[in-house]
Amino acid sequence: MTGQAACPQCSAIGGSTDRFCESCGATLADIRRVAIPRGNAGTDAPCADCGNATFVDDYCSVCGHRRAEPDRDEAELGAVVLITDRGIEHARNEDAAAAGMVFDGGTSRPYAVALAVCDGVSTSGDPQMASGAASKAGVDAMLGCLAASANGRAVVLAGLAAAAKAAATAGTDPSNPPSCTYTAAAVVPTSEGTLQITIGNVGDSRAYWFPEEPTAPQQVTIDDSLSQELIAAGASAESEAVQRGAHTLTRWLGADAEAKPWSDSSVLAVTTAGPGWLLLCSDGLWNYLPEPADIARFCTGVEPHEAARALVDHALQCGGLDNITVVVFPIGGIHEFA
Amino acid sequence: MSSPEVSGISVDVDHNPYVAEGTGTVDAIVSITAGDDVAPEVAKAHGRLEAIIIDCSTSMQSPIGKFDAAKQATAAAIDELVDGTYFTIIAGTEKASPIYPSDGWPVPASAATRADAKRSVDGLRPGGGTAMGTWLAAVRGIVVGHPGMLTHAILLTDGKDEHETPEQMRQEIVLSEGQFTCDCRGVGTKWHVEELRAISSALLGTVDIVADPADLADDFADMMRTSMGKSIPDLTLRLWTPAGARIAFVKQVAPTVEDLTHRRVEAGTQRGDYPLGSWGAEDRDYHIQVEVEPAAAGREKLAARVSVVAGEEIVGEGLVNAVWTADTEKSAQISRRVAHYTGQAELAAAVQEGLSARKNGDVPTATAKLQRAMELAVESGNDGTAKLLRGVIEVDQRTGTARLRREVSAADEMALDARSTRTARVRKED
Repeated sequence: MTGQAACPQCSAIGGSTDRFCESCGATLADIRRVAIPRGNAGTDAPCADCGNATFVDDYCSVCGHRRAEPDRDEAELGAVVLITDRGIEHARNEDAAAAGMVFDGGTSRPYAVALAVCDGVSTSGDPQMASGAASKAGVDAMLGCLAASANGRAVVLAGLAAAAKAAATAGTDPSNPPSCTYTAAAVVPTSEGTLQITIGNVGDSRAYWFPEEPTAPQQVTIDDSLSQELIAAGASAESEAVQRGAHTLTRWLGADAEAKPWSDSSVLAVTTAGPGWLLLCSDGLWNYLPEPADIARFCTGVEPHEAARALVDHALQCGGLDNITVVVFPIGGIHEFA
Repeated sequence: MSSPEVSGISVDVDHNPYVAEGTGTVDAIVSITAGDDVAPEVAKAHGRLEAIIIDCSTSMQSPIGKFDAAKQATAAAIDELVDGTYFTIIAGTEKASPIYPSDGWPVPASAATRADAKRSVDGLRPGGGTAMGTWLAAVRGIVVGHPGMLTHAILLTDGKDEHETPEQMRQEIVLSEGQFTCDCRGVGTKWHVEELRAISSALLGTVDIVADPADLADDFADMMRTSMGKSIPDLTLRLWTPAGARIAFVKQVAPTVEDLTHRRVEAGTQRGDYPLGSWGAEDRDYHIQVEVEPAAAGREKLAARVSVVAGEEIVGEGLVNAVWTADTEKSAQISRRVAHYTGQAELAAAVQEGLSARKNGDVPTATAKLQRAMELAVESGNDGTAKLLRGVIEVDQRTGTARLRREVSAADEMALDARSTRTARVRKED
């Protein structure tokens, strides 16, 4: 302990590096977070249909058209870049992403990072309500937990539980409740001088880890899809049954999901001493870049926002059949963490 | 939003927002509820005016007791007048003559004026013709002299409008629209339902038959009590629709069916006002159908913005949106309440058309229409209309064969006609 600081909640004096107030339990860490898509807030574009400039309740005051949400939303948080895009075929964006960082007072380096990507299941009712709520709740729970524990598995499970609850209560129509996938990452430095990347996954969004060459890029998550189950049972990846089952989910978050929607293989971890890129995405991206190396190619020698944009643009050029969401986090190594 | 004067009004929209690609018909049921907390001070501030028109034509002499019953009914209504309510009693013949006060100019109700008025009514003797248009004109003249007052009239007749042309009566109705509300009652069976319905419908009131004169007093007291409960002089339904949209219809569908489409008054760009008359603590349902320009799947448009206006203040609002979809399972669903009230409107029309065909001797049409009416009434749980229909048409439960009853009491038939627009309710939460 090097100095003393007052708790902003109860004014009790504690150590300046304490993460919790010893007196009232309030978190003393500086937490920053971001979530996309952010909808129409702050846009003032005229009606795309008739050019009229005034809207009431988000409806054009002349032709009645609902103001379209922006096709793409981009956000940055430290080195993390998040992009979500409606794509071309879908009428609305049902994906969501969120990120958060925990800083110790006074430093510009985070001591932990939490990320989440959710993809709304388009056959459910208002799936964007589930994906938005789950991604935010997952990151918030991970941040709260990170301030108390450096155990990546505990942090990711806390996020999963909060996200599952948020998705299950997000809908307004109980007869057709919204559901979504959930892929999250918690990045925490360990006492051994390495970084622990813990991934939690339900559904078929994915997390990739691209370490420096010559180590091969890897897909960390295992899809909760019918085709994955068939492959696990011995079917060929090229077989028709596997191809057909690629987008049939076997697990998801929502009111109609199992009480504990994750499985034993939902939480996985990677430990690294050196630099690399962590990438989370929805199937709107990996559909067009199925192999880890296909995506990794975009992530060398460029800035993270350039890589993220190039990836989303690639998916759009390939047809943009689904919403596209990508979160990239280039990790320089343990020295970037507090 | 709520106005300081009128609060406690809620607007609910019930509809299926999903529309099939290439189509643009949007149906919605709009429920307007004025709660118990709707300020009665509003009416007090403006003043309240009641006119009772009692038919004094010669035919009121028979059968014996009818005219006495009418006088007692008028007295019963007078007894319900809240102190301070301005009121006047008019004798209706081929002209309209003031009975109380003798100069025809309304006075505030008090124990003394109520007693005086009842004495004047008691001294009435029937003699003369029937010209209901002139009766309405008399009330209108009083309204003009009392601007801003919440004015209500009760009109009682036993016969047909004989001493003016139908055109004269139509004119008087048109001139009286929006000036005051009017509840109409026919006693006996010699009057014409469509004549009274023309008045009550235009003047936002009710119409009914009182077959037995002995029932008049209770009915008059009820009507006056209901009127004393009205605390909002005027509500208006304001409809905003997108450019290029067409309003197919605006109908009140509960408690009775009343087409308001032609009552539209333009209220600025893409806005039209539909007067709803005076309100107490009550709820009414409206069926609105709008044709909007079709859009591509995935697009969403506001098909109508429904505002309830009191004075110049918007006191409630509801949105009717439309979302185009390629998913026919979604677009083919009809809101349960839209379906129900579509059936109730069809039921009212089937009863009226069936009875009219019956009068004209067109038995096949009458049978078909009334049988259809019976199906609709039974299906929708409109027990009141179903019961009245059984007096006119017999349906064999086993074979489903229908035939008109040979012996139909005039009173039953008129009750069915007069009450044909009454609808069964379906609640939002059912």
